[in-house]
Amino acid sequence: MRRLVLRPLAVAGSQLAAVAVTVFALTSALPGDTAVVILGEHATDEQVAALRAQLHLDVPLWERFVAWSAGVAHGDLGESLLTGVAVSDEIARGFATTTLLTVLALAVVIPLALAVGVATGLRPGSLLDRMLNGTIVLLNSIPEFALALLLVALFAVRLGWLPATAAGASGWSLAARPAVLVLPVAVLVSKQLCALARQVRIGVSEADGAEYAMHARLHGLTERTVVFRHVLPNALGPAVQQLARAVDGLLGGVVVVEAVFALPGMGSGFIDAVMARDLPAVQGYALVFAITTIALNLLADVVSRLLVPQREVVA
Amino acid sequence: MIDVSRRSLLKGALGTVALASLAGCGGAAGGSNGRLRVAFPTSGARESLDPHTSSLFVDQARTKALFDTLVGYADDMSVVPRLAESWEPDATGTRWLIRLRNARFHDNRPVTAEDVLYSYRRIADPATASPARQQFAAVDFAASRARSATEVELVLPAPNFEFPSAWGAPAAEIIPAGTTDFAAPVGSGPFRFVSFQPGRPAVFARFDGYWGGAPTPAELEFVPINEGSARVAALMSGQVHYVHDVSANSASLLQGDGRTTVLAAPHGTMQAVALKIDRPPFNDPRLQQAILSGVDRQGLLDVALSGHGQVGNDLFGKGLKYYPQDLAQRERDLDLARGLLRQAAADGLEFELMTSAADPYFESAATLIAQQLGEIGIRATPRIGPAETYFSDIKKSGVAAHTRTATLPLTTFMAQRMRGDAGANNYTGYRSPEFDALFTRAMSTADEAERARLLTDAQRLTRDNSGLLVWGFSDWNVAVSSAVSGIRAAPPNSLDWARFDHAVLV
Repeated sequence: MRRLVLRPLAVAGSQLAAVAVTVFALTSALPGDTAVVILGEHATDEQVAALRAQLHLDVPLWERFVAWSAGVAHGDLGESLLTGVAVSDEIARGFATTTLLTVLALAVVIPLALAVGVATGLRPGSLLDRMLNGTIVLLNSIPEFALALLLVALFAVRLGWLPATAAGASGWSLAARPAVLVLPVAVLVSKQLCALARQVRIGVSEADGAEYAMHARLHGLTERTVVFRHVLPNALGPAVQQLARAVDGLLGGVVVVEAVFALPGMGSGFIDAVMARDLPAVQGYALVFAITTIALNLLADVVSRLLVPQREVVA
Repeated sequence: MIDVSRRSLLKGALGTVALASLAGCGGAAGGSNGRLRVAFPTSGARESLDPHTSSLFVDQARTKALFDTLVGYADDMSVVPRLAESWEPDATGTRWLIRLRNARFHDNRPVTAEDVLYSYRRIADPATASPARQQFAAVDFAASRARSATEVELVLPAPNFEFPSAWGAPAAEIIPAGTTDFAAPVGSGPFRFVSFQPGRPAVFARFDGYWGGAPTPAELEFVPINEGSARVAALMSGQVHYVHDVSANSASLLQGDGRTTVLAAPHGTMQAVALKIDRPPFNDPRLQQAILSGVDRQGLLDVALSGHGQVGNDLFGKGLKYYPQDLAQRERDLDLARGLLRQAAADGLEFELMTSAADPYFESAATLIAQQLGEIGIRATPRIGPAETYFSDIKKSGVAAHTRTATLPLTTFMAQRMRGDAGANNYTGYRSPEFDALFTRAMSTADEAERARLLTDAQRLTRDNSGLLVWGFSDWNVAVSSAVSGIRAAPPNSLDWARFDHAVLV
């Protein structure tokens, strides 16, 4: 119990702390500050100095970090320097849009990766295997930004089948306009499909060639039973780990996709916060992303461990 | 301006290839039911509808829909009456009487002299941090007064016969006296507020009581799209009717597309390099001259601007009122430049040329200028700085930096960028008592022809001595759907720029 729960939690806590310190230091190291960004290009030095004092930017960095950390310990992410709105509210504004994108992308990529991985893993080297592999590698090698532009050029501008951008729609209301989400989700999926399907394929082909699978077949079990009862459970351990990494990748892809399709989600908010040197907001977003990533990796660890005993029993 | 493609996700070439495929034909038609949809880059959470603090183009465009100014700017930045029906200065140019036209706010209250005074006081208040503050900071509000409901008297401490220019400046809109909250603002502009959230779409509706006549579109919606190629795609696929800020590359591609029209406003933005002449090496006038003579302006126009613009003559404001049209164009003269370098014993001069993605043309222009100056043995090294803080960075450091200025009245530019008291906004550190005296005399001269002559003399001085190398003027491109008429190409900050009340949806 201690090994399964307490230690991972301690590790996660120290990872979060490390993220908080690193992001704070990196953002502070960026040239310029919020006062300069807010006042724009015609500000005088006096105006900038006054605003700095007003925003407490003249307080030493470590003091600001301590104050911010104390707030976080009480569940308070502080206020945006730029707008004075609570950072948690700012993040919440983009939450629905980003969650919708990510969850939809996962709902598509998981079954698709399983299907592709199983189909190719059972017949490695077949024509189907080579075709799917080629397609996936091609999709994976195009940068998200370029792929998004190409899809828009083809399906929105030339054929007119799908909207080119969200054009002002955001949040849960997007669910009522599924056409808007097709292209963004397609871009997100295409980037994650490769690694995930490949992981499933490797696991499946290994498990399929393993002794216990042969054994099961010799005992006259149907192919379906062999695959679903014996091959897949053993193949999925590493794939679950890869899935956690895929979610990290999705969060990165979301930043690009939100920009190209004008979807105002957490990715755009994060970029805006960095551009504006809005330290509390940057920290807030970074924490949310870090917590998501760490939690998913923990979960993946637990799930793949739960799959391990099966392997021992069968083998 | 935030732009993902500038976040180095992708550089020009690939974007151009991808965009080239956007220039196909056929596609979706956008029905709008009388709602005109316009796309602009936005600044996210920090947007507001307070007209006096608006600094981005999208803020100004929204502001223009909701509010009015006393005067507007024609394409050459001369003033035309708006809320002010007429005005006259006294003989000294220090006391101005303005008569207001019969106009109403959206809540049906008349626009009065008190509203004008309240608005200008608020703009002049340092706490408001208005970009128009400098234009009104000098007004003596204690002596200024409302002579009647429709007559305002504004008093200045010193003569200024160009004072009406201030009334048309961006962020100088008239708001109802006492307004402090801008969540659902009331103005006197052609459109009424319906809904808005920072960083999200804004919806406005036709104001039937508008003094200029009810606008054509029943509704106007501002759609935030930051990414340039996404704006173009939204236009081509019929999602929006108008897109602001189209790059030269996209403009070239759109010109081959039957569904859209590119509107290029000539002399849109001054493109320049500011040489700091208050420190070495450019405190030596010979080295300033060497740089001015060593640059090939036509080459910069052809390559950096893809031909979308005009060459510059080391002066701001080509085509604007008071611009000296008859000055000879400065040509490239490599022998002269080499001779000056030799005289100054500065062969092989080295300096850093600051540039950034703050403007789409800065980086390619810097590369070209470095090449061009290399031909006379000067080693100018482009140094790319962060776009977000670029314009405040170049005030403080470096010896040479790319800069740009959108269209504004020439006298405003001279007062804010050239005068000795312009402070940090005088990017080149130009201090000339002679220029200051000429400019002050011009501002206190009632006769317009005489004023023009004095301003020409002042500009002759700055052209040779101010350290501002104006190499060109980039066109300001917007694009409209072929389904819309009644929108014309106009320079930024002019009355007809981003003006949607006469737009007709076919």
